[in-house]
Amino acid sequence: MMRGLALLALAGFILLPLLQAVILSFTATLATDTVALGTRGLMNYRNVLATPELRAAMVNSAVYVSLNVALSIAVALPAAYALARTRFTGDRHFLMLILVFRVTPPVVLSLPIFILFSRFGLVNSPVGIALVHGLFNLPVAIWILESFIRAVPREFDETAYLDGHTGPSFFFRHLIPQIAPGIGVAAFFCFIFSWVEVVFARILTVTGGKPITMAIQAMFSFQTDMGKVMAMTCLSLVPGVAMIWFVRGHLAKGFTLRA
Amino acid sequence: MGWRAMRIHDNRAWFLIAPALLLLGLVGALPLLAVINYGFHDIFTLADVHWVGVQWFADILASDRFLASLGRSLLFSTLALTIQVPLGIGVALLLLGYGRHAVWGLMLGALPLVVPWNMIPMLWLGLIDPQAGLLGPGLAAIGFDWKFTGWHTWALILAVDTWHWLGLVVVLAYAGLSAIPPAYRQAAAIDGASRWAVFRHIELPRIGGALAIVFLLRFVDSFMIYTEAFAINAGGPSDATRFLSIELGEEIKGFSYGQAAARATLYFLIVLAVVWAFVAATRERET
Repeated sequence: MMRGLALLALAGFILLPLLQAVILSFTATLATDTVALGTRGLMNYRNVLATPELRAAMVNSAVYVSLNVALSIAVALPAAYALARTRFTGDRHFLMLILVFRVTPPVVLSLPIFILFSRFGLVNSPVGIALVHGLFNLPVAIWILESFIRAVPREFDETAYLDGHTGPSFFFRHLIPQIAPGIGVAAFFCFIFSWVEVVFARILTVTGGKPITMAIQAMFSFQTDMGKVMAMTCLSLVPGVAMIWFVRGHLAKGFTLRA
Repeated sequence: MGWRAMRIHDNRAWFLIAPALLLLGLVGALPLLAVINYGFHDIFTLADVHWVGVQWFADILASDRFLASLGRSLLFSTLALTIQVPLGIGVALLLLGYGRHAVWGLMLGALPLVVPWNMIPMLWLGLIDPQAGLLGPGLAAIGFDWKFTGWHTWALILAVDTWHWLGLVVVLAYAGLSAIPPAYRQAAAIDGASRWAVFRHIELPRIGGALAIVFLLRFVDSFMIYTEAFAINAGGPSDATRFLSIELGEEIKGFSYGQAAARATLYFLIVLAVVWAFVAATRERET
């Protein structure tokens, strides 16, 4: 009984701000010639979808987050395999290095990253953001994949080798199907950390390629249409909620410190 | 220990971690070296740079404002960790009792994690808006004034930060707890151990790895809190919530790149020291 009440209170705490956003997103917060203030309806969502910049922002975010998730997992997988299966000179230093980069505050690196990336023409491009988000997502992907690979017995690798599968064919035909849930969990955590990030996303999109976070920021003005802002916010939650749903069975795998 | 012994020694592993090193070198090591280098220069434009030695570092370390902000950030991190880690473990323990249905609690907890960071303060400011917010009129009636009363701003930022991150603590703590074989708990139950004793002697020692990462991630993010704190009261009222990151943000906005880089280097060193001490303590305990 007490447990139930405690969890109910927690659910209320988590849902209340979101409920507020949903209510506002269905409310007219800026009177126009045709819609009176406080009217309920879908007008905010229609406004969002009718604004080309906002539509473009959703595409931009989706592109760099997908690129980042793909890159983080592709680069993390061999590293995770190496850490799970072998000892090598400097392995602990490598673990310490990825931990340090995972916890380096983005604001510390934002300025030189901007200067460096403008030299390479990576500003205003989704590739730039996808690369730089690897800073915090690659370590997380390595930790998660390493723990999943470690759970696979060594004999599994040896059987595959005996069948003549080595190198890429081993990774693609044997290891990846075996640790598919781990790849899902890694993709989930990379997705959430990249989708919601604002420091790098802001500094690397000066004139174009604005992601959802910056497009929302740009909606604040002298007369902010809060309803439209909240409609955009609610839409921005959809992919994240879908990700939570897809990995729900494996969410409890989490990740732990490896140092 | 068992894990280390099971692995064979093979330095060809370096080929497998090379791509990771390359990426981290490009987006991590190179910018970090650049930031440290900038910290020793006066940067007017990128073409007009002068060596100033440790002047910025000396200025920052000698300023009372820096020390006050450092104190505020440390206090904020301490409060955030003291509230969120025990609360998150508590919720994870509660959820553990629900077996299969616990997944609903985990999904609920994960919801705030997918909200864009810059929208989180907006959601909360909407919620406590005195006119239109769901909680606003009630809070206004009891005299809650986050704009002009320092500790009310603190309470609000802590509530927002807890809302944002509790789910991560719950998910990772739950992951650690659910990996403990049920036989351990059953054996303790037969021995008549209290719930607290089971937690203290059976569960806690086995979720160390999960808690360590929770602790480090939450420490860094709360220590460097910017987006929420700036949007809620921009460091006010009268500097009551002027955290380290807000000072850094002001310098970057004011184009004082040399000072900003020196400050960023100092922040990085503080974070590095905490991480290093923490890892050293963890390894000490393991061996």
